[in-house]
Amino acid sequence: MNNSFLRISIWVYLAIFFAYLLGPLVIMSVTAFNSSGFPRMSPWECLTFQWFGELFQDQRILNGIKNSLIIGAGTVVLSVAMGLAGALLLTQIWPKLRATYYTIIIAPILIPGVVLGISTLVFWDRINRMLGLGADSFLSNGIFLTVIGQSTFIASYCMLVLVARLQRYDIALTEAALDLGATHAQAFRKIMLPFMRPAIASAAVLAFLASFENYNTTTFTFGEYPTLTIELAQKVRYGITPAISALAFIIVALTVFFALLNEAKLKRQELVAAARKQATVEELAGKIRLPSFFAGNMAAVLLVMFAVATITVVGTATAYNPAQCIADVREQKQLEAETRIQKLRQLREERRKQREAEEAEQGDVQSTPKPSNNSGFGNVFAPNALDGDDGDGASDAENPPSNNGGSGGVFDPNSLQGDQ
Amino acid sequence: MPGFLKEFLNRNGTGMGLAILGLVLFWTIGLIILPQLSMLDFSFRPNLPPPEIGGPKDVYTLENYRYLVFGPEGGSQDYNTVDLRVFFRTLVAAVCVTIFNLILCYPIAYYLGQTKGNHIRIFAIMLIIPYWINEILRAFALRIIFGETGVLNTMLVGMGVWDTPFDFIRNDIALYAGLGYAYILLMIFPMYNVIESLDKNQIEAARDLGAPWWRIHWRVVIPYAKPGISSGCTMVFMLSAGALAAPQILGGPSSLWFTQLIYQQFNDNNDWPQGAAYAIVLLVTCILFVLAVMRLFKVNMGDIGK
Repeated sequence: MNNSFLRISIWVYLAIFFAYLLGPLVIMSVTAFNSSGFPRMSPWECLTFQWFGELFQDQRILNGIKNSLIIGAGTVVLSVAMGLAGALLLTQIWPKLRATYYTIIIAPILIPGVVLGISTLVFWDRINRMLGLGADSFLSNGIFLTVIGQSTFIASYCMLVLVARLQRYDIALTEAALDLGATHAQAFRKIMLPFMRPAIASAAVLAFLASFENYNTTTFTFGEYPTLTIELAQKVRYGITPAISALAFIIVALTVFFALLNEAKLKRQELVAAARKQATVEELAGKIRLPSFFAGNMAAVLLVMFAVATITVVGTATAYNPAQCIADVREQKQLEAETRIQKLRQLREERRKQREAEEAEQGDVQSTPKPSNNSGFGNVFAPNALDGDDGDGASDAENPPSNNGGSGGVFDPNSLQGDQ
Repeated sequence: MPGFLKEFLNRNGTGMGLAILGLVLFWTIGLIILPQLSMLDFSFRPNLPPPEIGGPKDVYTLENYRYLVFGPEGGSQDYNTVDLRVFFRTLVAAVCVTIFNLILCYPIAYYLGQTKGNHIRIFAIMLIIPYWINEILRAFALRIIFGETGVLNTMLVGMGVWDTPFDFIRNDIALYAGLGYAYILLMIFPMYNVIESLDKNQIEAARDLGAPWWRIHWRVVIPYAKPGISSGCTMVFMLSAGALAAPQILGGPSSLWFTQLIYQQFNDNNDWPQGAAYAIVLLVTCILFVLAVMRLFKVNMGDIGK
């Protein structure tokens, strides 16, 4: 009893946690398909793919992607090289220096990105001045500064990934190679690098992703080469459109795809290894029957489902035309706006009558106000009815910003006076 | 030292050894130490136009730091209340975000670390995927949710909890949620790594001896996981105090984050030395604060980042 209660509460907690973690991404992706001009999920207007088209026509986004790729490549090369050198030195350094050295190379992870960006900018600006170079020299180039600034801390990530693998390296392998007459460079290239390859690959992926999504450091160093992240930040800060959602959807889809692909590959390797272990001698001598790609591999199944879904979506996108729906929604909006205007006009009329009645009451006590405004709406404003300005403010707030064409005459204060 | 150097070159070969040393020196000295020192030096200088740099006016001054505490010369107030308030608000908010994340993530890390099975790997992928999405886009996603006509407001108003939309952005709720959201993974992974290596027998022994579940956590799991907890907390605190994207996108118009002040000094006021001074203050305060808390909880610096 107690146990099952605990289990249920764990699952509820997990559900809430992952809803917090993944919900925003799902909602953001969905808004990319809503035709509303502001990224929102409700009210749902029309299924549309126009935001993707808009995204690919945006020259700044495309330029940002290009810069991001260049900077990412530079950062990967520099930070993997520095991370590998840092990791190699860490395994051999004089024990007394080790703690200090470790603190120094791990510190960039903890230093705020803003500080790294500023210090890079200030330092290279000074070097540039000391060398007597102009403002357009190589050292003050946005790409160079960004690569340098990002590599400062990304190299630390790479170092951590690489040192984990390096600790399992048997130094005797290198020594054997050296004894057999290899040079140090050969031993490194033929023995050490193949051993380190998986770690180097994951460090490179990590470095590229970290570089691609970095904002805090890049925002100080990018100069004339804004990366995709910088462009996105500018867009998000000064007016958001569903085109950003469309980009987000593409990134989310790619991420999910590669994560599943990687997982399916790992799982398959595991399954193959298990099959080898269980295989009999004859099977090993001949051809072992490998398990099929999907057997017991949930990630692979999910991957295929995901790919099919993507193809379906793209297929629909080319055939689907939401123009009719958008026109319908526009018409409906117009109708709504008209009924609202009608209502407001009616309200105004009633209020005017009421005011006249009250004025009459003030003049002649015997005449009572007519209980004509039984719409319920007018009563809300009744206490303020004498205060004309207040009523105007309230009715203006009711007016959605979309229908400011055509209704202007109604809200003109003069129209009220004209009636009187 | 030369002996050590000679041995190092012998072991790795001269070419390889020099390459390793060159890269490491470039990284540690050229990219980490010298830029920080250069920024420190810069923060003590007045803001001069480029031709006057190195001239007679280029002398060391405490003006930039004085400005943070006392405000502009001859100002109406005794202290620079605006900037100081932003500074302390940033620190307090970063602490709150860290505690929130710790409480949120500890059960998850414990569950992931102590449960075996295939679904754990799926959970791990689900944890990592949001972390691969651009920081800006994550903040953007939360803005869609917390906006005035966002999903949350539509839902709550529709359910009748509120009559009018609640302004999450102006009340900073969106900002805290966004900061917490951004650094969940950095909190979970160090804790998960440590808790995963905890021997299950220890927990069972405690249970057999009659300890209730909360005491098992308090006396067995948490003391064991302390290095993981402290490195997670350190990273989340430093990163949220130094965050720039989330406050810019999710922060209300009136509430600033200290990094935004630094950003303004650099980009809007064009006063680099002032910005550098603010950055130094932020960095030093955060480091001192982390060291003090670590001493309070008796954690070693060497445990961080493992």
